[in-house]
Amino acid sequence: MKNTIEIMNELKKEKLIKDYAIGGAIGALKWVEPFFTRDLDIFIIPVGETEKRLINLSPIYEYLKKKGCYWKKQWIIIKGIPVDFIPADALGKEAVENAKETEYDGTRTKVITPEYLIPLFLKAGRDKDVRKIEMLLEQAKINAEKLDEVLEKYGLTRKFNGLKKRRYGR
Amino acid sequence: MGLKRGVMEDNQKIVIGNKVITRKELFEEQEKLRKARARMHFKNKIKALIDLQKIASKWGKRKDVIIWMS
Repeated sequence: MKNTIEIMNELKKEKLIKDYAIGGAIGALKWVEPFFTRDLDIFIIPVGETEKRLINLSPIYEYLKKKGCYWKKQWIIIKGIPVDFIPADALGKEAVENAKETEYDGTRTKVITPEYLIPLFLKAGRDKDVRKIEMLLEQAKINAEKLDEVLEKYGLTRKFNGLKKRRYGR
Repeated sequence: MGLKRGVMEDNQKIVIGNKVITRKELFEEQEKLRKARARMHFKNKIKALIDLQKIASKWGKRKDVIIWMS
């Protein structure tokens, strides 16, 4: 994991990406009890305009290939860890920019906070995403005001309230 | 009737070693432990995840699971 994070930091240093943050299940795992997952989701802000119709990740993959990384199924294996790169949309970009700086085994990295993970999971909307929202709501410390603000900004308030009503009856 | 049974079950005593607790207290205890595990150091959580991946791979015979390098 430490080596994978170091490679991510290299991508940033080499200006192949603008910024990144850990999201998905491992992002959630930072804030809740350990649970099983297969891969590491990394939200990246590509270099250049994110509004462009085409996002070219080839330079990143070329660099990683030179570092000994390889493809397996849908993942790129970086230092033994299957990684999924997710080019950030507007919500993802804000999530990366507001991610919490943290250290893993002495290496600096950023992890998306619950106030952004919940809207991101909500947007994805699969059963496994809903389960992670539940875990975050039950176990993580959440800034409710900030969460409401993000949900409202990205038009997810109704969806969130619907989920809460279905799961918790309120 | 259902409510009464639920209340009775909540108050049912469970013996664990020399500790006697109700079912309700058992669930409360489990919830406290979950919250304590949520506060574990990130690195230790990743170690726990790797153990879960090993279990899934060996016991669950899920050959498609890649066991991470710590």
